[in-house]
Amino acid sequence: MKANNVIVLAGQPNTGKSSIFNRLTGSNQHVGNWPGKTVEKKEGAFKFKGHLYQLVDLPGTYSLTANSAEEIITRDYIIKKHPDVLVVVVDASQLERTLYLAAETSMLPVKTIVALNMTDIAEREGRKICHEAMGKQMGVTVIPMVASKNIGFSELLEAIKKSVENHDPDERPIQQEFEGEVLARLNEVKGLIKGLVPSPFTEDWMALKLMEDDREVREIMRKRLGPDQCLHLDKIINNGLALLVADSRYKWIQKIIDASETKSHDTKSLLDKRNKFDKVATHPVWGIFVALGILFFAIVAAMSIGSLGLPFLKIVSLASDGARILLGPGPEWLSSMMADGLIVGVGIATALSFFLMGVFIVVGFLEDVGYLPRLAYVFDLFMHGIGLHGKSFMPFLMGFCCNISGVLGTRVVDSWRQRLITVLLIPIIPCYGIWAVVSFIGTIFLGVKTPMVVLALLITAALHLALTSFLLRRFIVKGESTGLIMELPPYHKPNFKTIWTYAWTNEKGYLKRGFSIIAMASFIVWFFSYFPEGKIETSFLASTGSFLNPIGNLMGCDWKLMAALIVSVMAKESALPAIAILYGTGQGLSSITGLASITSGGEHTHNELASILMQSISPESALAFLFALTFSIPCSATISVLYTETRSLKWTAGASAYYTLSSLVAGILAYQAALLIF
Amino acid sequence: MIPLTWLRAWEVGVVQDISGKPGFVSRISATGFSLNTEVKMIRNWKWGPLIIFLRDTQIALGRTEAGNIMVRKKSESK
Ligand SMILES: Nc1nc2c(ncn2[C@@H]2O[C@H](COP(=O)(O)OP(=O)(O)OP(=O)(O)O)[C@@H](O)[C@H]2O)c(=O)[nH]1
Ligand SMILES: [Mg+2]
Repeated sequence: MKANNVIVLAGQPNTGKSSIFNRLTGSNQHVGNWPGKTVEKKEGAFKFKGHLYQLVDLPGTYSLTANSAEEIITRDYIIKKHPDVLVVVVDASQLERTLYLAAETSMLPVKTIVALNMTDIAEREGRKICHEAMGKQMGVTVIPMVASKNIGFSELLEAIKKSVENHDPDERPIQQEFEGEVLARLNEVKGLIKGLVPSPFTEDWMALKLMEDDREVREIMRKRLGPDQCLHLDKIINNGLALLVADSRYKWIQKIIDASETKSHDTKSLLDKRNKFDKVATHPVWGIFVALGILFFAIVAAMSIGSLGLPFLKIVSLASDGARILLGPGPEWLSSMMADGLIVGVGIATALSFFLMGVFIVVGFLEDVGYLPRLAYVFDLFMHGIGLHGKSFMPFLMGFCCNISGVLGTRVVDSWRQRLITVLLIPIIPCYGIWAVVSFIGTIFLGVKTPMVVLALLITAALHLALTSFLLRRFIVKGESTGLIMELPPYHKPNFKTIWTYAWTNEKGYLKRGFSIIAMASFIVWFFSYFPEGKIETSFLASTGSFLNPIGNLMGCDWKLMAALIVSVMAKESALPAIAILYGTGQGLSSITGLASITSGGEHTHNELASILMQSISPESALAFLFALTFSIPCSATISVLYTETRSLKWTAGASAYYTLSSLVAGILAYQAALLIF
Repeated sequence: MIPLTWLRAWEVGVVQDISGKPGFVSRISATGFSLNTEVKMIRNWKWGPLIIFLRDTQIALGRTEAGNIMVRKKSESK
């Protein structure tokens, strides 16, 4: 027996694979109620009865035909990596459709177990399924489960153990038989490709995929077939054949359901139940109001959770003063580094972390109940306006939190062209880092006008999206647009554990990455603004910054703001400590004290940093800075995922150059406009 | 036979034919549409995507996509 058996989880999107994976391995993979969260295979391990198993969570896929990256990842893994056991997860409340993937795996040479998940929802909707009968019909073991409530796991583990230990050659994949025309054609194609199929593919599977006109399989086989055979193949294969294959799968599924369903739900009451909230949520007019209302409340909720962190800033400011006093006797650079540099950076990072936690909790909630796909539906029309469709709305929404998750989230978009366009547009979406800077700078310089500025930024972002998308589609990524095909899953009751895990996992990610970047950015800014002489006027940064004066002048930004703009490439929010340090140092005050009182609001007049900032930056310049920051080149981490997702240096460099230009143009236009308006 | 987009809300149709590129056909089959599938229109406003119920599932479908699916209207909708 192998010491390390490999078990893989596959299934249609949103059937609960990651929930099972998380329970078994103790990991915190993204779980939420919309299709397409897991986009990469994730590996973990678990122990059962003294035995170690390796578990792989695969992206959800509707089928195993090579239409998208996830489908290729999934099928390559099953075919090429020879897992010991394949666990196909199906959703008992949407059995007919989710069994389709199970049917597709029937041709793959791997031992299979079916996890019949979400039996709680099925039961609530009045449906009962006999898992034994189902297993008998399919020729494999079926385990009823409720993955979110820890039900069915020990049975699943036992089944896995038995399956791994069982060396019975009869132990087989799911059994599906074909009949009639499909069978005849299948045999015909199999005859044609006999002996020509490269391992590890099987003839059955290749023949079936050829009948479905699978892009990848067709290419593999064309290279191996002679010209006559190719012609013959072309004659057999046509569009209707793929439909017949699909039809035979659904017939098989129907047989399983007929044999195993002891109580069925009637469509009408099911729809009534599922449609209660959707009556308004997917209404063409009310739906938009509902969406805006929910988004508004989401922002308010996130802000109020975030404001819990404000008292913390006071503590940080005390720490900063304390450091100054404690380190006072030591070298001056040391106390300056601590009080003006590091503590400021860490303080801001901490304040942000509370705000972010608020955002994550709210997004986690909306995700878990299943509202996100409705948003995508409601905004489909708007997305059409910019040449995309609703599915691209989800990555955009995630982009508002963090552009990195936005870029990764584009994997739910089916067509490559559409996905590329979405990826390249994500940097326009202002992320949390930008919102943090906007609310801070806005409060100081623009006061009550801040909401107007936010509105102006959003409108500009929408126009920018439209323009950039138009340019991309017209001149760069030409091709046809595709439309929306998206499942709207039933709403789930919020599961607070899932929401908390989601929020905390993201928060930890931020703390790990964002924190160190902010701390580092503050250190670097402090370092280059302090040395060589301990005076900012003669610092390295000042002398380099003056190079940028010609551009800076056009947008009314002095070298300090330009430097902050450059620093923001490390992480957008690091513009804040940069500004605080650059304008605060040498003024003999702890800049964090300023921050603390600004963010807690109201005390503007008592605020030294704020007044120093007010003296050195005009509102017009501040506005220009915000526009330049919002529409600038994305942060370094986003640039790196742009590269990994597009797999192209050309796109990455092109996007970086384009958004650098966009930043300058936005800054200049905003400045010139502000001069006219203010 | 009529295109799916012609069904009004709460009308039921039976799929007769699906046309389009192989990628589309395979994608749409895997989300539940196949020959003789009974589909129920849930939302069909003058604009925006449709919402269709079939095989225990609600699917939002763009109008162009839906235009590739031909159905026969069932006279009696339950
Ligand atoms: N009521 C109920 N909800 C469940 C069950 N299993 C999972 N869920 C919920 O269903 C949703 C989808 O679960 P995931 O584990 O994210 O599904 P997935 O298959 O990994 O989805 P993708 O990665 O998008 O393909 C989440 O909101 C889970 O909390 C269950 O047995 N009962
Ligand atoms: Mg998953």
